[in-house]
Amino acid sequence: MIKSISLGIALIISLAVSVVLVRAIDSRRIKTQPQFGDEPLYVSPTTAKHLSLAFNGLAADWYWMRSLQYVGGKIVSFEDTHTESFTLSDLDVHLLPSLLRMSTALDPKFLPPYEYGAMLLPELNSDEAIALVNSGIANNPSSWRLYQHLGYIYWRLGDYDKASATYAAGATLPGAPAWMAAMGARMKADGGSRDAAREMYRHLDESSNDKSVKEMVERQLMRLDDLDEREAIRNVLTGYKEKNGRCLASWRDIANELRALRLTVDASGAPLDPSSTPYELIKNGCDVGLDINTKVPFK
Amino acid sequence: MFSKPWAESTPVVSLDVATPQKISANSGFTTGRTVAIARNAFREAVRDRVLYNLVLFVLLLIAGAIFLGELSGGQEAKIIVDLGLSAMLLFGVFIAIFVGVGLVYKEIERRTLYAILSKPIGRGQFLVGKYLGLCLTLLVNVVVMGIGVSLALIYIKRGWNPLAIKIWPAILLIYLELTIMTAVALLFSTFSSPALSALLTFFVFLIGHFSGDLKELANTNSSAAARLLFRILYYLLPNLTTYSVITPAAHGIAPDAGSIGLAVAYAVVYSAVLLLAATMIFSGRNFK
Repeated sequence: MIKSISLGIALIISLAVSVVLVRAIDSRRIKTQPQFGDEPLYVSPTTAKHLSLAFNGLAADWYWMRSLQYVGGKIVSFEDTHTESFTLSDLDVHLLPSLLRMSTALDPKFLPPYEYGAMLLPELNSDEAIALVNSGIANNPSSWRLYQHLGYIYWRLGDYDKASATYAAGATLPGAPAWMAAMGARMKADGGSRDAAREMYRHLDESSNDKSVKEMVERQLMRLDDLDEREAIRNVLTGYKEKNGRCLASWRDIANELRALRLTVDASGAPLDPSSTPYELIKNGCDVGLDINTKVPFK
Repeated sequence: MFSKPWAESTPVVSLDVATPQKISANSGFTTGRTVAIARNAFREAVRDRVLYNLVLFVLLLIAGAIFLGELSGGQEAKIIVDLGLSAMLLFGVFIAIFVGVGLVYKEIERRTLYAILSKPIGRGQFLVGKYLGLCLTLLVNVVVMGIGVSLALIYIKRGWNPLAIKIWPAILLIYLELTIMTAVALLFSTFSSPALSALLTFFVFLIGHFSGDLKELANTNSSAAARLLFRILYYLLPNLTTYSVITPAAHGIAPDAGSIGLAVAYAVVYSAVLLLAATMIFSGRNFK
């Protein structure tokens, strides 16, 4: 009996010591993580495919999750040290193209990394994004979604002719929805319009199951709504200045006009942006800008 | 000290296989004796707790894949299939190697082999029986693990998931690969120690997955002798890349019936070649 109790106590003490040790190890790991997190990939995708034997799918999953964790980790560490909103170029995610290339080389039929790359890479390196999606098309020639993503990259680059041609090429594939052909035509006619952009993001949202893509689309749709809203607010501000000969002192003075435009207004009369953060009066009340704490992307 | 293993293993072999009653019941039917040895090999493997631990570990891994899938940005099903089937292959190979290399060696070490071979049972029959017994064990394990993966897929979809059925051709090919690896392990165990046999079998598993490279080397090498050597190695070593369909299975792509048929035929023929070689070596051994 005494022996059992002694063993039990020893077990609990040992367990407690091991917990303390793990915490000590974790605290050291947090300090060293950023340094190792950005370590380049020493194995080429071709070699990795050879070495993975029959487990290349599993290795592709590993690199895919690592891509997500890599970007997620960068966002978390940026948010820990900054208060303002960020763009991808602020995050220094230089390892992302290699991680995505590795994942797609290990499993060329795995579509989410191509999709993720098409959404994120154009901001960093559009050539890399185009190369990644083109390799996806070469490996999955019947996937119209990859044409949709390639069209999106060209649209972002402002190359509406190529975007239109890509959408049109994707539209000819079996199973491609009718709106692919319509998007091809629209890109040619008014590729630079906000309505075209809104339509494209809506289709991206509908055709993707990827949470990160959906989040990105949500942010971009917020940005488009913000541009529309700020344009409308600017018109009101211009009208106010013309009428009163001075710029606005307080949002309260035009709160009714803003409500008439179906804009959401807070208790102080300030209009709320699509992320429900109040807009800011800038240039001595002559213009409207985004608050630094907004979730709406600045570009 | 030696009496215990003797006493443990003797009932397994002698009661069902080596007793005169059992032999007379099967007299005239050589397949009956082989089946009796297979049944005993299966029972022996089933009684091994390590086996249960390995299967349990794979099932836990499959359950873990459900949670790991949460980190995959909506790719839970792919992660479950990739991780589940990869674990099935890897642990299946471990079972085939570690149980396979001990099948013959244990009987020699415990000296139960003398009792068996003193009965009208051929050495080839003994080996084939042992092989079939382990294949049956692996079949049960693979089916249990496969059901685990299918259930995990149904669980994450909260309903019927077509992938739960589409992965089974890949599971069949994994099983065929394991039967080949069992035959390889058995071949090595007829002339080598368990440790060396396990190592050699694992090397064959590795090289078997590089068979595509062997063929490429055979086609591209500038030296005629090297080309011949690589060509011989390509045909001599098992072509395991045929059975690597886990990655397409995770996308719901199953191999066509023709490919499966050829894979089955290759596994049967290649295993037969290995068993014949094992029988030749085993028949030449002097146990006196």
